[in-house]
Order: sequence, then structure tokens, then C-alpha cells
Amino acid sequence: MDEIVGLAPSGSLGSGYNVESFNRALDANPDFIGQDAGSTDMGPTHLGDGVLFFPESSYRHDLSLMLNAAREREIPLLVGSCITAGTRGQLGQAVAMVKDLAREAGHSFKMAVIDAELDKDYLKKRLADGAFQSLGPEGELTPADIDRSSHIVAQMGVEPFIRALEAGADVIIAGRACDDVIFAALPVMKGFDKGLSLHMGKILECAGLSASPIDLQEPLIGRIRNDHFVVEPGNADLRCTTLSVASHSLYERTDPCIQPGPGGVNDLSETVFEQLDERSVKVSGSRFISDSVYKVKLEGAEVIGYRSIVMSGIRDAIMISQIDDILEEARERVRLRFGAVDDGEYHLDFHIYGKNAVMRMLEPETDHVPLEIGLLINVVAKTQDLANAVAMHARGTLGHTSYPGIITTAGNLAFPFSPFNVPVGPACRFSLYHLMPLDEPCECFPMEMITVGGA
Amino acid sequence: MVGTRLAKIIELAKVIRSKNAGPFEITFDIMFADAGIYDKVKNSGVITSKLIARLYNISHNEVLVCRPYDPAQAFKITIRRPTASGDLMESDVYGCQQHMPLTTIEVPWEE
Repeated sequence: MDEIVGLAPSGSLGSGYNVESFNRALDANPDFIGQDAGSTDMGPTHLGDGVLFFPESSYRHDLSLMLNAAREREIPLLVGSCITAGTRGQLGQAVAMVKDLAREAGHSFKMAVIDAELDKDYLKKRLADGAFQSLGPEGELTPADIDRSSHIVAQMGVEPFIRALEAGADVIIAGRACDDVIFAALPVMKGFDKGLSLHMGKILECAGLSASPIDLQEPLIGRIRNDHFVVEPGNADLRCTTLSVASHSLYERTDPCIQPGPGGVNDLSETVFEQLDERSVKVSGSRFISDSVYKVKLEGAEVIGYRSIVMSGIRDAIMISQIDDILEEARERVRLRFGAVDDGEYHLDFHIYGKNAVMRMLEPETDHVPLEIGLLINVVAKTQDLANAVAMHARGTLGHTSYPGIITTAGNLAFPFSPFNVPVGPACRFSLYHLMPLDEPCECFPMEMITVGGA
Repeated sequence: MVGTRLAKIIELAKVIRSKNAGPFEITFDIMFADAGIYDKVKNSGVITSKLIARLYNISHNEVLVCRPYDPAQAFKITIRRPTASGDLMESDVYGCQQHMPLTTIEVPWEE
């Protein structure tokens, strides 16, 4: 086999993709279709509470097109991090969707389902064998941290995907997976270089984010060969350039040269990006260096309370000139009614859009006076009811408070919709972000093979 | 010296961006379309951990990475997030609007 061609429909399952570009990309005769369906980028709530990022209809729409294309061509479809955080419950939702879609379209195939959510007893046993290295959270991880977390997943490497392919899976629906391995699995199984395969996976996993102009909803084609790979967009009007591809190689990574993943690091220090033709870029020189101990990244999140918000606007210049003092006084009034802020019962936060809401403590320009302020009252409390009560009390106080030089007595806040208070539901926090050693790469990723349809 | 001025990085770079790298870090990329410009900025030695710490008013050891990367004609800078992604006090879950202080960097430039 001289090359393997992979097709990535979009950078994120559910975001939609350009169907015309996808159909054109199918003319490249891909050997597989790969799709990333999750991330921690959207914050801890999808892991801690299990809520999906997009509505289910968006996932069904995207899955349907790629499932039909893969079955018509009899090529594997690999979907990783189903769906959003890769929990067991979200994986089950993806499996149910694929079964429904297969029934509707009359497909029959073998589907491998790979679970990436870890049981707490297993984790605590592993933790007893030796501390997990933290990739963020302060302090040593304890069994109590594990117990407090609602869901803990591990990012799988290429190995569980390869095991599924070797077992004859036509469709692989996997829980949390390192993004690049979805696209590297088949090439690595066929003997292609692991460093190049993973680097190609890193480029494909966000699809058209590596194209110029940039577009997450544009499919990308990758061709891996003996000593390099080539990427090009499915859309004939888009290009890959050395800058767009090199740029994406850095995207969301801590260090450009050393990119850690399951079982080792990908070393991009000797990588060469070359413009092959107007629309495609050739990449070579990336090298995978295996760790002596195979480790996977754990992600866990816990529910810390319930969120409630009020969004409002301020245009009065006299009020704006005193905004910090006025908000401080409102905090004090809330404290009188509900007790000390941050005593564990509730957390009250004001986001002052127009002033420093976006950069907060990183904001260097502190004396700017805005024309308008967008004020977001953001409360997290032990119960939804308490969160709503604190948010509404802060709103009422600010809405009718007096301040030096006031010229309006009718109200201080402009509300863009009714009702003013929006209960948001569970608020979460990342509780685990650690490396855990494994005895073998498939150890905590059990697979179930399901026959779908009347095969 | 005749012809030496301070050039603004925003006139020299093609891309200046910030993004979360996992839930506990924010990473910045400064990328150049022209190899000659990239080399001059790199050789100026202006972009250092110390400068980044000053621009963001954070301590030096919160700057985890600050290095040039030749294959992409880029500087890579990574800092610890002030709050973990989505935690209390969060303001930018994707971390994608934290790049503006970098645009104030100036590089000594000989025409």
C-alpha cells in the first residue's frame, strides 16, 4: 500500500459541513472517514453535567451524511470523543443515533463501541499504585477528588481503534479519544510512520481550520505516504498553504516542538512544510518518541453548584463613571441579605462588558471610560433557587440604587428581554487533569462489537 | 543610527492569536508570512518570557513557554490560565480574546 487517504468532514461533529465539498472530497477515494466529536475546549459542564454541546438534531444531521457515504463506499467510519466530553452516557446517545440512522437508511454493518469513562474503584486502585502527575490542578490528587467528580474519562490512543479495525469494525463509535488518533489509527495499523500519522491527524481533526481562508465547516483530505503526508481542502476554492498548515500545527498546543499524547510525544522540531501545488501542502520530518511507560490523560469534572444570570445594559454616564463603587455597594447589600459572599453558599460575580469583562486581571488598560456597559450578573450557588434569589436581589439593588449626582430616579438597568433572570443549571469545574500510567494501551477502554441491521 | 526605528509587531506579523491549550493554559501564536521579517524579529531578542510577564502583569514563572519555532516562522508563548476553564471568575472559555497586549510589542527595525 503506497498511501492511505483520510477524509475529515468537519472540525467538530454537529457544527455542519459543506456537503458539496464533502462530495467532491469523496472523489479522492478515501480509505476512511474520521470525525472528531468532542473536546474539553467548551468548558467543564459537558463533562461534569453530561450535557451535549449541540442539540441532538445537529449530530444526527452530520452523522447521517458521513455514515451513508462510508457505507456506500464500504470504508471505515471512525468517530472519536462521542459526544462532546466522551462520557459513557454521551457514548450511549451516539450509539442510539447511529442505530436509528442505520435503520432509516437500511444499512447493516459491524459497529465497535469503545468506552472511555473510568470507574471510580478502578481509578482509586490505580491511584494507590502511585500518584498521578498533574497537568493543571494544584495539589496532590486524592480519592476524595475522584469521589467528588461526576464523570472521569481517559483520552485513548490509536490502539483501541486499531483493535476495533482488526476485529472487522465498519463503524467505530468511541468515547473520549485524543483528537489526532482518530485519523492516525488506520495508517499506523497499516505500518505508516506514527509521527507523520499523528501529525496528519492533528491537521485533519479540525478539518478546514487548516485551510485558507479558515473554515471549520470545510472538509479536509489527507494522504499519508512513506515519508510524508499531503493535505488539501475538499473545496476547490480553498487552499492549504504552508502558513495555514504550520499555523494549525501550533494550534491549541502548549509547545510547538514537543506535543505529548497517549504513549509518547510527537516531536515537530525537524518538521518541514512545503507548498506542493497551489492548494496542497506536503509535510515531513515529524517523529514520534515512545514513552517508557504508556500514560493516558485523565479528564474529570465536578458539579460545584447552580448558575443563574441576569444580563443588562447601562448608558448613564454618571453611573458609568462610578461603576466600581456602585457594584461594591451592591455586593454589600447582597451580603446583608444572604451572608458573606464566597462563604461556600454562593458566589456573586459582575462581568462589566465595555470595561474589563473579557480580560479581567490580564487587562492592561484600566482607565478606559466606556459609552455603554453590558453588565452580566453571574451567580453560582448551592441550589438553583438560591442562585436565582441572589441574582435577582443584586439586580433589584442595582436597578434602583442611588449614587452621587444621580439624575434618573426611574431605574438604572436596561434589560434586553423578559424574564430578566435566566436559571442556567449546573455549574461545573475541572477536577482532574492528570496523567495515569497503564499496563497496556487498551487497559481502560473496553470494546463491544455490535451487529447493526440485518447483516 | 540612520534608518532605525521601532516597528510595531502588528505591522510585521500576519497572525497574532490566543487560544486555550487544555483547561489550564492559554497559548499565543505570533506568525509571520515573510521569512526575512521573522528572522529579524527573532534575532532582535525582544520577545522574551520577561516581556510577556510584564505585558500581562503576571509572574515570570507563569510564562510556561516562550520560544521561536522556525518551521512555522512563528513565536509560541504559553501562560498558565488565571482561572481554570469554566471555573468561577472565568471570562473567556476559549481564551481566544487575550491577545491584544501582544500587539503593543515594538521591535527595533533597520530599514
